Amino acid sequence: MNDSPGQDQAAPEKTDVSRREFLGGTGLLASLLLTYPAAALAELRRQKRKPLAADWQKIPLWQTLAQVQEVLLPAAKDAPGAADLGATNYLYLAIENTQADAEDRDFIFRGVGWLDGLTQERHKKTFLQLTATQQQQTIAVIVKSRAGRNWVSKLLNYTLEALLMDPVYGGNRNAAGWKWLQHQPGFPAPPADKTWHRLLQRRYQA
Amino acid sequence: MSKQMLRQHYDVCIIGSGAGGGPVALTLAKAGYSVVVLEKGPWFTENDFYKDELACCRRSVYTPKLSEEQHVIEDSDADGNWVAEATSDSGWNFWNGNCVGGSSNFMSGFFYRLKPEDFRLRSEFGEIKGANVADWPISYDELEPYYTLVEKEVGVSGRFTGHPFAEPRSTRDFPYPPTREHPISRQIDEACRRMGLHSLPTPRAILSVNKDKRRSCEYSGFCGSYGCSSAAKGSSRAALLNRAVATDNCEIKPLCKVYKLSSDGKGNVVSADYYDVNGDRRSIKAGIFVIACQAIETCRLLLASSGEKHPQGLANNSAQVGKNLLFSAGGAGSGDFEYASMEPQAAAAMKTRGPFVNRGLQDWYFINDQKMGGRLKGGTVDFLLRHPNTMSRALSAKWDGDDLVWGRALQKKLKSAFTDSQTLRYEIFCDWLPTDNCFVSLDNTVKDKWGSPVAKVRIGYHPHDLKVGAYINERCSKVLSKMGAVNMRSNVSGSPPQNLVAGGCRFGLNPKTSVLNADCRAHEVENLYITDGSFMPTGGSVPYTWTIYANAFRVAEHIKQIIGVKTRRFD
Repeated sequence: MNDSPGQDQAAPEKTDVSRREFLGGTGLLASLLLTYPAAALAELRRQKRKPLAADWQKIPLWQTLAQVQEVLLPAAKDAPGAADLGATNYLYLAIENTQADAEDRDFIFRGVGWLDGLTQERHKKTFLQLTATQQQQTIAVIVKSRAGRNWVSKLLNYTLEALLMDPVYGGNRNAAGWKWLQHQPGFPAPPADKTWHRLLQRRYQA
Repeated sequence: MSKQMLRQHYDVCIIGSGAGGGPVALTLAKAGYSVVVLEKGPWFTENDFYKDELACCRRSVYTPKLSEEQHVIEDSDADGNWVAEATSDSGWNFWNGNCVGGSSNFMSGFFYRLKPEDFRLRSEFGEIKGANVADWPISYDELEPYYTLVEKEVGVSGRFTGHPFAEPRSTRDFPYPPTREHPISRQIDEACRRMGLHSLPTPRAILSVNKDKRRSCEYSGFCGSYGCSSAAKGSSRAALLNRAVATDNCEIKPLCKVYKLSSDGKGNVVSADYYDVNGDRRSIKAGIFVIACQAIETCRLLLASSGEKHPQGLANNSAQVGKNLLFSAGGAGSGDFEYASMEPQAAAAMKTRGPFVNRGLQDWYFINDQKMGGRLKGGTVDFLLRHPNTMSRALSAKWDGDDLVWGRALQKKLKSAFTDSQTLRYEIFCDWLPTDNCFVSLDNTVKDKWGSPVAKVRIGYHPHDLKVGAYINERCSKVLSKMGAVNMRSNVSGSPPQNLVAGGCRFGLNPKTSVLNADCRAHEVENLYITDGSFMPTGGSVPYTWTIYANAFRVAEHIKQIIGVKTRRFD
């Protein structure tokens, strides 16, 4: 009430889920236990809080996330896609930020491992190597499990933020999301030195 | 180092800098007394407030991270058992703005006064079984001069129309003209006129013209939940605290989290004990202490402040602290106006972004209907446009029941949600009846980052609240139908709006049934006052902020009268 902006307070997606839950119903768990975790974990550890690496776009994990985002928000004649918006750049800046939620970050990274595990089992290929149709079908499979749905839902949250939040955060490139949805932003817009992470620091420093 | 930095002892120490703290700080600093304000949050200014949805509404910038500070909410399950859940688990954030100026930085500033009958609800409408309705120990006439003072000091813009339900005023009209209005406001007026209702211009705590160092509203369209970058919004910080600081008698100490008020052998408060930004324990001594941390945290601080004379918590020997917590009952509804069904000019007008709707209805503030059992207290309806924030709309588009929507299907839903229609909403404000099932206590297990027990809030409501809300909802929704709205939806529930909270330390004449006396001084503590919304025994049927401001000015005036006798001066 009282002019509040609405239901932004839904229960957070649970991130403390297991790979078992992520793959629930796909029947692939047993073999994946043997084949995948080591590689996924190594990837995760290599990425541990190494913010703003210049070459992050070349890392397979990020390339996979970019492709998943493009499936979630595809480029079309009448709509900007994730790549048009800089959605992966947004995601990278959002979850590699020192103020970001570490659980979110780990959950998203773990999910990439699980996703590739699934496509290896089904197609003997990584997610990136699949055709567009196969990629869509894979997403359609994983959203059937609770954890898979949580993972996609969380990525969607960041992707929608990349569509709609101020361009200062690295998404919504050229305000393409706002233009597409005819959204009039408020003013004044946040400058780079007054982004939420900068303001948040004021809660902890005199 | 300034004179104030050296000070060891203040005339007045205020804990909390929102609508309850600001009037006291300004009044006493202007009168020449030394005032210190302890605020647990940071000190943001106009230079920090931007229209940034991420900072405003998606990240914890203005409120604590729930992993660091939270609440435990006790709600009843389907079987009627009380079930406690920590807000870090549920995601239901009960904070409303923790920074200098408090949640008044982020209010919409819908400003309504109470009416004379609200001060004597029990005498006027009788008892309601299961509710602890009580008359106030003061009358409307005693508060009226302070409502008027707030209009001037905080800055209330409006236009008095003398509608049949208006409360008495000591001045003819508002000191500031109304803020600019959206084209839809005239359509509301017309529909109401045809229905025999009396739409009234909603007074707003938003400047429509420049005042001192504050600029007029700039009409960006993003107001509620956002900090104001022009200082037009009458926050405690912009309207009062900046002026208090300018007297050189008021020091504001941000990032100071008070965890206890220590009391002496007589039961009076001697110090406010707090953690500074480094987590170090410090304390401040003063002659008079004023708590204004918003109802829930005020109760929590009292309960956590036990002492020799206060074994159950400060001012709690009658076990009344935390009891009879109030929210605002009622509900909300909305309807859409589809651009495709309008002439282009009308659609363009409907899309106008910036000006306010500023319309309310009080035709059902009192209900006299045999179907409802005769005469009873009703409420206020306020109209507003859908909030321009994007994420709540986008996030609801990603779901179809329990299924996720993505890809082209999602894009289609987004396009429609953002470009097909304007949405007019209404909110119903009714009394949240005080009951034994709505109160604050300390949680036994969950602690904040400093190791103090967090507040546990039981949020039970009285079924009467729903009855009144539904009665008004049925009637006011017809205004939208009359205007041609489609896709009508509404919701009346007992779920508390966490931003409209009061009570918990009610004032009254009997120390056995109230925490504060008529001056809002604790019955049991000579030098302790509470000036946020906690004092209210009943809430009235309007948002609380104007009444909190007015009462805090009233109490400040009282403190000013007695302070020379009660405090030592160290000037």
